[in-house]
Amino acid sequence: MENTKRKYVIPGDVITTGPFRPEHNVILDGNRIIATAVGISEIYDDAVKVIPLAGKYIPKINDLVIGKVISHSSLSWELDINSCYVGFLPAQDVFGRDFSAHADELTSKLKNGDLVVARIANSDRSRDPLLTISDRELGKIESGELVKISPSKVPRLIGKRGTMIQTIEMATGAVITIGQNGWVVVSCENRDGLLKAKKAIQMVEAEAHIANLTDRVKSMLESKGE
Amino acid sequence: MGHASLIDELKSTKIRDLLEQGQRIDGRSFDQLRSLSIETGVIPKAEGSARVRLGNTEVVAGVKVQPDKPFPDMGDKGIFICTAEILPLAHPSAEPGPPGEDVIELARVVDRGIRESGMIDLSQLVLVKDRSVIGIFADNSVIDHDGNLFDACSYASTAAVLSTKIPKWEIKDDIPVKVEGQESDAPITTIPVSVTMGRIGDYILVDPNGEEWECLDARITITTNSDGNICALQKGGHDGFTFEQLTKCAEISISVGAKIRETLKQSKQGGQ
Amino acid sequence: MILGGKESDVVLLDENGIRCDGRKIDEPRRIMIKAGVLKNADGSAYIEFGENKILAGVFGPRDVHPKHMANTDSGILRCRYHMSPFSVSERKNPAPSRREIEISKVIKEALEPAVMLEQFPRTAVDIFIEVLQADGGSRCAALDAASVALADAGIPMRDMVSACAAGKVADTIVLDVNNEEDQAGQADMPVGYMPNMEKITLIQLDGILTPAEYKKCIETAIGGCKQVYELQKKALHDKFFSNGGNS
Repeated sequence: MENTKRKYVIPGDVITTGPFRPEHNVILDGNRIIATAVGISEIYDDAVKVIPLAGKYIPKINDLVIGKVISHSSLSWELDINSCYVGFLPAQDVFGRDFSAHADELTSKLKNGDLVVARIANSDRSRDPLLTISDRELGKIESGELVKISPSKVPRLIGKRGTMIQTIEMATGAVITIGQNGWVVVSCENRDGLLKAKKAIQMVEAEAHIANLTDRVKSMLESKGE
Repeated sequence: MGHASLIDELKSTKIRDLLEQGQRIDGRSFDQLRSLSIETGVIPKAEGSARVRLGNTEVVAGVKVQPDKPFPDMGDKGIFICTAEILPLAHPSAEPGPPGEDVIELARVVDRGIRESGMIDLSQLVLVKDRSVIGIFADNSVIDHDGNLFDACSYASTAAVLSTKIPKWEIKDDIPVKVEGQESDAPITTIPVSVTMGRIGDYILVDPNGEEWECLDARITITTNSDGNICALQKGGHDGFTFEQLTKCAEISISVGAKIRETLKQSKQGGQ
Repeated sequence: MILGGKESDVVLLDENGIRCDGRKIDEPRRIMIKAGVLKNADGSAYIEFGENKILAGVFGPRDVHPKHMANTDSGILRCRYHMSPFSVSERKNPAPSRREIEISKVIKEALEPAVMLEQFPRTAVDIFIEVLQADGGSRCAALDAASVALADAGIPMRDMVSACAAGKVADTIVLDVNNEEDQAGQADMPVGYMPNMEKITLIQLDGILTPAEYKKCIETAIGGCKQVYELQKKALHDKFFSNGGNS
């Protein structure tokens, strides 16, 4: 890596010493700033952070995520959101204020195995993240295919101002919904477009740390055209 | 299996839709196995061993050979015991602790497939009749679970046994003492091959992968021997099979089994 | 000249300072580590250390079942060290032995100072170690693999944990005791070490040492740990940072 402000690190690596502010995935030990994850360290202004290359999704309020229903009680659904915690979707979010536990059957709306697009409504470490699907663009996913990538690669898949994802969508005709949790749903009428879009997503995940990725994805999508 | 293996609804719908078009989710034909690799001698300290990769399912089997007491009513036969364990690192839902019913069924089906075929001539494994015999223990450790552990463990155990070297023991003062440097092949009479098929709706699929396994209505494991005869059988799953389906499954197990038998034979000749 | 702790035909240390397997007194056995070897586990690693062949798989942080085992302030670490029945000379019963249970605990406690569990209250990080073939020093090799598997899973850690044993054989402090040396030698000391924090998180002793030998043994073991650390680093670099490598 030519840029001396970025380095490959593993846990325990000393990134730098001196008067820097420790941010994500680093700790301060005396005057040493130490990486706590496998990833790429960055020193910018007066702060140091590490962009991790592995690990589960850490819920942040307002994030868009894709979740899979795994169980339910009489009052809420539980969803797998690729995090260390299970997401909770209260029945009221779907049925409304008049929800009645014994009158309204949860499985009539969502059952085990269903995929949804949701937003993180609330998240703090003392309880499991709360989800909502009550906005227009949220709700049960009726068609498409689920592709899983590492959450750390999501920014790369979106690209600067959405350039990467737009490139893929335009070249394949697919509609792609990206969850911040690394789960992505790809929908395409055309089977070849679907396969190409999936391939492009896997390519971004595999080569996220290599330069000129957008150009290479573009040329992959344009090659062997129909 | 817990929620970590719960297949999403879009995927299970897609699997069924593709079957109606004559296709499987990973592009295989209905009677086609995933890529199969069998490597023997992977645990040099054991008397026999094999590592099998069947798609993304991976199993390591080790064979230990040691003197033992015969079973009470079988003093003229050696011992063969086959076990299996799904290691907790193999799948998020695999739990450490005493084996549950799934693992016990797996071990017993793999054991029966080899035992009932008569693969090992146990009468050749006697040191002192009624007192001391040779015991062959085949143990399967499943290290990655992506469906069809029955066949993966069966191939691993069979390949490991085929490549096993039996040491020579002499009886000195009533005790078996190993004679170094004089090993022989295990007394093999036949090569059992198991083929597991799953049923989704009216479709019979050979070697279901992890996702297909989640959608199965029923499954059957049929083991055949080198003569093309059926020597073991186990049906599993929450639903059943018609007589016609069972007949078809038997035919498939014989033809597919014959091809796998060749792969197993080659694995004995030194890996892969 | 034959030097040995107990009566045996094996020459543990000859007049040129060469050990029974051809190594020098400060030379570890052959070590190879690979990260990310399993498809289902969140993180994994495979190690060959001498004749040891050991697999480690990590899941988590994830929900704790049964719920009463969860800690509201911090995640918990659970560790299972297990030997496959075919891993040792005489076939081992698959059920966990008392030795395996003790080693599981000792490895867990060697990793706890490194893993930042306070970031994930009410969860568990599960470490599963399987010894496929055992040779002397398997607990150190197991700890080395577990450490790489945790990093591979993206679990936040203050430091890696690297482990290697030292011992006393033929009245000499040596690095990385093998099986024969363990049987016929005078002491075996496995050590687990955090290389950047310079903290020892696993240490046990089998045998008798003078205070001076004890210090030398720890220093020798730490030297071995640092060598293993370079290989752990390489394993992670090969998986995550090589061009065209898939993460």
